[in-house]
Amino acid sequence: MQIDPRRHLPIYLQIAEAIRGGVAAGTYRPGEALPSLRELAVTLRVNPNTVQRAYDELSREGIVESRRGLGLFVAERAPGDARPRAVEEVRAALERGIRIGLAAGLAPESIATDFRQALATATRSSPSPVIPAAPQKLRRNSKEADA
Amino acid sequence: MTATFAAHAQGGPAAAAPTRSPAVSMHGVTKRFGTTVALDDVSLSIAPGSICGLVGPNGAGKTTLVRLLLGLERPASGTIRVLGLDPLRDAIPLRERVGYVPDTLHADRWMTAAEVLRFCRGLRRHWNDTLATRLVDRLGIPLKTRVGSLSRGTLVKLGLVAAVAPEPELLLLDEPMAGLDPLAREEVVETVIAAAPDRPWTVLFSSHSLDDVQRLADSIAVVVEGRLVHHGATDDLLATVRRVRMRVDEGLPRPLPEGIDVIGSQDSGREWTLVIRDGVPTAIERLRALPGVEVLGVDPLSLEEIFKQLARAPAGRVDERSLS
Repeated sequence: MQIDPRRHLPIYLQIAEAIRGGVAAGTYRPGEALPSLRELAVTLRVNPNTVQRAYDELSREGIVESRRGLGLFVAERAPGDARPRAVEEVRAALERGIRIGLAAGLAPESIATDFRQALATATRSSPSPVIPAAPQKLRRNSKEADA
Repeated sequence: MTATFAAHAQGGPAAAAPTRSPAVSMHGVTKRFGTTVALDDVSLSIAPGSICGLVGPNGAGKTTLVRLLLGLERPASGTIRVLGLDPLRDAIPLRERVGYVPDTLHADRWMTAAEVLRFCRGLRRHWNDTLATRLVDRLGIPLKTRVGSLSRGTLVKLGLVAAVAPEPELLLLDEPMAGLDPLAREEVVETVIAAAPDRPWTVLFSSHSLDDVQRLADSIAVVVEGRLVHHGATDDLLATVRRVRMRVDEGLPRPLPEGIDVIGSQDSGREWTLVIRDGVPTAIERLRALPGVEVLGVDPLSLEEIFKQLARAPAGRVDERSLS
């Protein structure tokens, strides 16, 4: 897990994002324990309160659950929860890009072309996406993108 | 006007119950050296169990602030409470409960590192030997080496061990990372995290490294020219400060509508850039609603960029006149 203080995203959200991504990608499996606050804080060299905030955020999302006296565990139904969240993030990022384009006076079709090109470049350059979608879904998405 | 925001570090076993009194509280504190105003009407409150990062340009008053908390300086006016005590009146009981690493460590250069630690141990009523040994091992401090031949990094580490071993309730660090190589800096950061006692301690550290502040600090206090221009949760600052790029056809209305807190501005012809604190309801929506204004882009800033903006606008907010 990597933390970058220079990113604009608060560190606790970076940690939450990394664990969410890990759950979706299967590096954290349902029922597995998360590292203790102190352990993760020392590993990442961040304030333990920051790790706590990340864990609070993930608890709220239902991705992790606490078991009394044992610590935090990846929830049994977590991967299903992690994916819609990723979809949400993608949509927000796309929306932002589209708004920049429209404000600059670009035609919607031209923005769509740029999007398809960017998608093609990205899938070519990174064969293993961080959050892999289900196989048939991936095929359908890429067909849509080609259309 | 000095705005005071409570440092609201939240969550976790280290989180302070809201009823607990602040570990550090300063109210209307002014300090002068001759005619120079080192600190000007500073009010600051640090929640127990939280880590506060103190940032500001050189000469902004950071060291003075730390020294006031230790009772090493006397304020011209204002009140200071540290762990509920008055640093001037209760200097001796306070010294038992506060750890301090000064920006330059004074130790006899002919003493070995082990002798320095033994000396410090003798001055304290309480000293956790296990913790001291663990830290010395972890930080790789050569105990038999004379202080005079230690690097600046190792000296800081030694000072840190001496400050932490008595298990203080409050740890004050004045520029602990200054002049350290990246590896030594990481070790210092790690020590502050790993050495935290089981009961929560409060840490105030001044630093030029916004990276370190973001890693360590629950709250960030920004001092510019002796004034506290901001104090609040580090994450809130990142979440609320935005750079808004706009096309402005006929200039901005003055004064700006209520609720638009401008930290910095820049314009070249019709293109304007404002750095604002986004509130609820959002200031950006209010800008969008202005006639003859089109918002072209809204971007978050890194902590370092936010700091630079705050440091450039010493009043903490941009005066309406500077918008013209």
